[in-house]
Amino acid sequence: MHIIIIGCGRVGARPASLLSSSGHSVVVIDKNPEAFERLERSYKGKTIEGVGFDRKTLIEAGIEHADALAAVTNGDNSNVVVASVAAQDFHVPRVVARIKDPVRAEMFPKLGITTISSTLWTSGRIFEYLVSPELHNVFSVGSAGVQLYEFEVQNVLVDRMVRDLSVANEIRVVAITREGISFIPVLGSVFKRRDRVLVAVDTRSIDKLKAMLGLSS
Amino acid sequence: MQPLSIIIIGTGKLGRECGQRLIAAGHRLTFVEKDHQLAQNAREIFGDRVFLGDGCDPKVLEQAGINIAQVIIAATGDDEDNLIIAELAHHIYGVQSVMTRINRPENEWLFTSHRGVDSAFCPVVMATDFIKTEIDRQAEKIQS
Repeated sequence: MHIIIIGCGRVGARPASLLSSSGHSVVVIDKNPEAFERLERSYKGKTIEGVGFDRKTLIEAGIEHADALAAVTNGDNSNVVVASVAAQDFHVPRVVARIKDPVRAEMFPKLGITTISSTLWTSGRIFEYLVSPELHNVFSVGSAGVQLYEFEVQNVLVDRMVRDLSVANEIRVVAITREGISFIPVLGSVFKRRDRVLVAVDTRSIDKLKAMLGLSS
Repeated sequence: MQPLSIIIIGTGKLGRECGQRLIAAGHRLTFVEKDHQLAQNAREIFGDRVFLGDGCDPKVLEQAGINIAQVIIAATGDDEDNLIIAELAHHIYGVQSVMTRINRPENEWLFTSHRGVDSAFCPVVMATDFIKTEIDRQAEKIQS
């Protein structure tokens, strides 16, 4: 795929390096050329010094045949403008904008702009960790309709079966890690003390999961 | 003439001058300015019609009355901000008329109707056009 990343800060440099080493054609744009020093030495893509919403810069970066674009500069507004230009004017199929302001992060999806807000994500994780350290969110699927949670088996679940923690369409055990070895359980698998369990939960059923684990919600 | 409810975002020289003229013409104005000093200056002229805050923040726009505004003039010195304001005003709040200032002439291509801009003006281009016309006129006069 041909991928354009605007903003070579910590958020931009890492995916750029990863995408480049997995064989994609990558172009990174940043107005500050020193920012390119954040790229890994193995980075094989192109770098362009410039402003992400300059037409000339975008065309030089190959936006006309780009498969994906991520706008991840420090500026929420310029990220939204670049994302809108990429999606609407150049019809790039996959576009995402990083938004720090949580209010705008929830507003721009209404205008058809996909946003990722590290502020929303991080504050959510910190909140959860403070109120229920026993249960960690490890991944949000899609626009967070389904979540993957991890927890360690405590008293309530010891010697119970995976079946006891399964609710159709709501809660499913995905994997168990026991003494360093991970496996995908069947409904009849039995939980042991100190198992690390990965579970997929419909976001609306998180309180139900907490109740089943004997955690206060 | 029907008085209109108008919000001007950005109270630099342009926003202030424009606001004074439109008030004199009988329109209802409010102003949004994120810079403390500029907001203070604007308050000396427009009083409590000036709201301190970021015009790209929906909450600030609502305080300034975007829900009843008929015209928005995004006149900040920042083209990204003006575009975001246009996008919000048009697509989220359904404001009838969105006018935007273009700061960098290279950005003119971004100010399109699908991004919520009804009309856009670039002071630099307008001044340059004026100067060019004037120079052409003088050149002709000298020749003849």
